[in-house]
Amino acid sequence: MPINVGVGLSTNKDPILAAQEALQHAKTNFFHEKIGLVFIFATINLSTPVILKTVLASIPEVPVIGCSGAAVIYDEKSYNNGLVIMLLGFSEGVYFNTAFVNNIKNKTPITAGEELGEKLLYGFKNIPRDLGLIFCDGLIDNTQDLVNGIQEKLGRSFPLVGACASDNLKYARTNIFHNNDLLSDSACGVLWGGKINFGLGIKHGWKPLGKQHLVTKSYGNIIYEIDSQPATYLYEDYLGCNVKKLQSELRFISVLYPIGIYVPGEEEYLLRNIRSIGSDGTLILQGSIPESSQVRLMIGTKESCLQATNQAIDDVNKGFSGKSASFVLIFDSISRYILLGRDAGKELEIIKKQFGPEIPVVGLYTYGEQAPLTAIGYRGKVYLHNQTVTLLAIGG
Amino acid sequence: MLSYEYLISILGVAFLIIIISLVAFVLSKMEKIKGLSSIIESLNKSLDEMDEQAKLIVRTDIELNKTQEELDKKIAGLYTLQKLSRAISTTLEGSQIFKMVEANYLESLGFEKTCGFLWDSQKNEFLLQMSIGYSEEEMSAIKAAISKDRDFFLNFIRNEKTTSSMSLTDIALKNKIEKTLRSTAFVIAPILPKEGEKGFFAVATENTDTSITDGDEELITILANEIGQALENARLFEKTWHTQQQLEQKVEERTRELTNALNAVKTIDKRKSDFVSSVSHELRTPLTSIKGYAAILLTGKLGTLPPQAKERLEKINRHSDELGHIVNNLLDISRIESGKMVMNLGKHSLKEIIGKTDDLLSGQLKENKITFSINIDPDISVLVDPEQIGRVLINLIGNAMKFTPAGGKININARRLNDGTAQVDISDTGCGIATEDLEAIFEEFYRVENTINQKVRGTGLGLALVKRIIKAHQGKIWVKSAVGSGSTFSFTIQQG
Repeated sequence: MPINVGVGLSTNKDPILAAQEALQHAKTNFFHEKIGLVFIFATINLSTPVILKTVLASIPEVPVIGCSGAAVIYDEKSYNNGLVIMLLGFSEGVYFNTAFVNNIKNKTPITAGEELGEKLLYGFKNIPRDLGLIFCDGLIDNTQDLVNGIQEKLGRSFPLVGACASDNLKYARTNIFHNNDLLSDSACGVLWGGKINFGLGIKHGWKPLGKQHLVTKSYGNIIYEIDSQPATYLYEDYLGCNVKKLQSELRFISVLYPIGIYVPGEEEYLLRNIRSIGSDGTLILQGSIPESSQVRLMIGTKESCLQATNQAIDDVNKGFSGKSASFVLIFDSISRYILLGRDAGKELEIIKKQFGPEIPVVGLYTYGEQAPLTAIGYRGKVYLHNQTVTLLAIGG
Repeated sequence: MLSYEYLISILGVAFLIIIISLVAFVLSKMEKIKGLSSIIESLNKSLDEMDEQAKLIVRTDIELNKTQEELDKKIAGLYTLQKLSRAISTTLEGSQIFKMVEANYLESLGFEKTCGFLWDSQKNEFLLQMSIGYSEEEMSAIKAAISKDRDFFLNFIRNEKTTSSMSLTDIALKNKIEKTLRSTAFVIAPILPKEGEKGFFAVATENTDTSITDGDEELITILANEIGQALENARLFEKTWHTQQQLEQKVEERTRELTNALNAVKTIDKRKSDFVSSVSHELRTPLTSIKGYAAILLTGKLGTLPPQAKERLEKINRHSDELGHIVNNLLDISRIESGKMVMNLGKHSLKEIIGKTDDLLSGQLKENKITFSINIDPDISVLVDPEQIGRVLINLIGNAMKFTPAGGKININARRLNDGTAQVDISDTGCGIATEDLEAIFEEFYRVENTINQKVRGTGLGLALVKRIIKAHQGKIWVKSAVGSGSTFSFTIQQG
């Protein structure tokens, strides 16, 4: 098998002890002679530079990438306080390169994206590249531009999958891990090439409801007007309440009734969570929305959510076409965690059951996911998504 | 020319037909457009109606979701509460009860911070019992704030009503508590044990998404009640434990006193036995001499005695015999008690032992006209010293004879018991013994006050000796009697 995997988990509240414990477990399960790449996912309380130092003190000069999450996922369980370390060992013929970009706001997301794309391409001359994986700060306003920038360098139809880091729903600071550095306002990634196979599944399960509406004024992730009226009017009208009530019930509204952007030629709507509701009638979204977008109010249920999970698994399997995966990365939207509530574990159980006990499922709950809108073929523009379960199975 | 006109007219007709056709076409199109407009209008209407329905769906859906979330929260809360209650109820130490509230329980209830205080009326302040999710610095600030606003919290306890960031109508107060507890939402519930110091239990969260519901208030109230009940139980347990400790201490002290007293009595008893033993020894030698000399004098070998002197000497002789008997009995009691008298135990037929006694006493019984009957289970073998048991029987039958008038009856019954012993009952139809004397008759020198005893001489040592002999055989002796109804003396001895 060209990729060897060792995964370790710790729920210790002390970052040093957690890092030592998770690394120890990961090493116990790792049977390759050389660790090539390390993935780290940690809840915000364990996201400290000391975990990176502890890991690199034990396995120096191994590239590390990862990010913080509201909860981390290992197999069929999620942990509000946890650290997951995944060690990867590659056989000959698999190529990869990691890189990061910081100061995204200053550089502008598109420029930063181009910089990251360019850095990722380093050493890939004459080597066919297969897949890009990125982790970015979950509080960047225009992640779509960042993705666009990366695609400018890697190719506009190059398959790119990613996750927006999250914190404990305080939206205060999210962290990116790259080697020794714990960063914010940054993004990091890995570019793979050579003998690598992957299957991608991305689905949300929300359905459009009511009439289509037109975004008449927007900028970045802020909608000012829909149908030439203050943007909040859409929700006031549908929910039959005023802005103040909307603000107090934002948690429900954001998760249950996101805005769906119609993408011509695509079957699925692109979802946008509402991060906040301005008293001036503006809607601030978890991701950008172009002016003149045709939008619908979306509605989701636990059942439709879990149905989408099954569809995402099917898509992964279709992409793999008979080959077996070494590990599965899961980027699950925090909105699904909130909507599913007690059934959040059920979603992870479905996924774990489908891939089987031998294949580790590792990931986190995110503030956004990046992937092409349609998983099959992986070709096409990569979007920033909200509310999806994104499954990326990688094998040799 | 004609053809030209003809052509013109044909063209005219054709033009007319075209015009008519066009008009007809336009009219039909207009009709179609009108129809389509009507369809569009109808579709728009349907779309509007569907949009209205969508609004209804969304409004119903959000309510359903909120209810569902509240239900989920309640189920999770109740589940957590059950686990927490179980943990709390297993603790009977007041100081440990608050420590049972662990962070993971709290998180399941939707909070990440908590603190508990109890009022100390002696120190006149609220004392911190536990905290989770606060740094030491934060806790110091909270303690200071609560101390400053102690009247509010004392009033709150007196009102016995849970409050929260949802139910508190005084916005300034709500903000103040939120600031004190470093939170965006909180619930405070009073802790009200029936007795002892009262207090309050606060849970809080900084999560801006959390809004307190009635369910939260109910759960935290139940939890505070559980804590109150556990404190009450701990107090009662402590009280009971202290009482028990005091009792145990008293029992120990009393036992020690009694042991000391018993040892003192034993020492005194031993001294008495030693004294009696040595006195008896010392008495026996001169008594033998007195009796010997009296006997010599009575033989007349030393000269004929005047009748008065002979009478006096006979009295000396008789009294010497009685005194010798008393001294021997005392000596035996003393020897048995000190363990110096060894019982020569062996297997013997009870019937034979009783038969020998019968031989000794039959003459006297006939003389006193007393009917004597023996009823013994055949072949009862006993492990006894036959000489000593013979003494017991002679004593008991002798007593029975003494107190049974002429024409009366004395019966001896003996039977095996299931516990490996044999019981011998000696019953008479004598005057009987008063209830108050039943226990005392086995004590040394105790003599029942009755007319017979006044007439018949006795030492008051017979039953005391009998009791000790039976005890030395690991047996028991007791008496059943009532005045005027005769007496039954019973004793047990080991079967052989």
